[in-house]
Amino acid sequence: MKFVMTLIAAAVVASPAIAALDGAALYKDKTCNACHGPKGDKPLMPSYPKVAGQNAAYIEAQMKDIKSGARNNGQTAAMKGVMHLVNDEEIKAIAEHLSKLK
Amino acid sequence: MKASLLLIGLLSAGVAMASPPAPKQEGIESKDYKWNAQAGEKVEALTKKGDKKRGEEGYETCGACHLPSGAGRPDGTFPQLAGQHTTVLIKQMADIRAGLRDNPTMYPFAATLTDAQELADVAAYIESLCIPADHGHYDSKPGDAGKDWKAPTDTEKRLAEGKALYEKECLECHGKNGEGVKDKFYPVIAGQHYKYLLRQMTEIRDGHRRNANPDMVKIIKKYSNDQLISISAYQSSLVMPGNMCKPKAGAAKKK
Repeated sequence: MKFVMTLIAAAVVASPAIAALDGAALYKDKTCNACHGPKGDKPLMPSYPKVAGQNAAYIEAQMKDIKSGARNNGQTAAMKGVMHLVNDEEIKAIAEHLSKLK
Repeated sequence: MKASLLLIGLLSAGVAMASPPAPKQEGIESKDYKWNAQAGEKVEALTKKGDKKRGEEGYETCGACHLPSGAGRPDGTFPQLAGQHTTVLIKQMADIRAGLRDNPTMYPFAATLTDAQELADVAAYIESLCIPADHGHYDSKPGDAGKDWKAPTDTEKRLAEGKALYEKECLECHGKNGEGVKDKFYPVIAGQHYKYLLRQMTEIRDGHRRNANPDMVKIIKKYSNDQLISISAYQSSLVMPGNMCKPKAGAAKKK
C-alpha cells in the first residue's frame, strides 16, 4: 500500500499538467512572436506594443480583455484572431515570461 | 485661439495615431462586384516568374503563423499553404493586401511584402514545399483537449453524408480529390484543416468573405451549419496526388 501511495505521489509530482507552463515556448507556439518579435521588443508594426519587460499583471489583464472583447480598440482586431489559442493559465505564463524580458 | 489650438492638437493626434489601416475595396456586398477581376497587382504577380530562393526570405514573416513547413495549424486558425496552387496563393495575398478579403490578423504581414514580384516569389517558394502527411480532421483531438476528451462517434456518418453532398455540387469545381483548378483560381481543398474549411465555407455562405465567388455563394447558400460540418469532414479526408513529405524516420516505429 505504501509503495502504491509513493508511486502515485511520484506520478503526481512528475505530471506535466502540474509542472509550471513554459511561457517562452507558449509565446512562440501561440504565434505571439509573429507580431511582437521573438524577444518581445521588436513589433511587426510601429503601432503594436513592445511587450518585453511590461508588468505581468498588466499584460495578463490586456490579454484577457482582448480575448473577451472587453477591450476592442486600437489594434486589437489583429490580436483577437489568435486569442482562442490561449487559456487563462497560458495567458498567465506568457505574461510572466514577458515581464522577465528586457 | 483656444479653439484653434485644440483643433491643431486634435489633428496632430490624428496623425500620430494613424497606423496603416487595411484598405477597403468593394466586394461581394456591391452589385458591381466582379469576381477575380483581372486587374492590379495580382495580374502583375501572375505574369512574373517567381524565384524560390528569394521567396524563402519573403516567407519568413509568413512562417511564424503558417509554420516554416507551410502546414498551418490543425486547429484551423491558420490554413495549410503547402500544396496550394500558386494562382490561388497570389490571388488571396493580393486580395488581402487590396482590402478585398478582410483579415486583420494577416493584413499587416501581407502588407510587408514589397511588390508583385515578391508575391510571385513567395508563391513559388510555397509551391516547392512538400505536403505534410497529416492535418486537422473532423475527429482530430484538439490541441487543448482535456483528459475527458472523446473522439466523435459519428465520423463515419459525417463522411458518408459529406461525400454525397460534396459529389453533388462541390466536385465539379474542386475536383474528385479536392485538387481544385489552378488556371481558374479554384483552391486545393485536399489536405486542408477541417476547422479552417468549415470556417471559410460558413463565412462564404454568410457573405463575410467578401472576395468570394458569387457562383459558389449561390450554391452554398442553401446548406445548413450541420451540412457544412459534414462537407468539411469529408473534404478534410481527401488526399490528392502530390509532393507529399516523407514520413519522419522513426515515425513508423511508434505504431
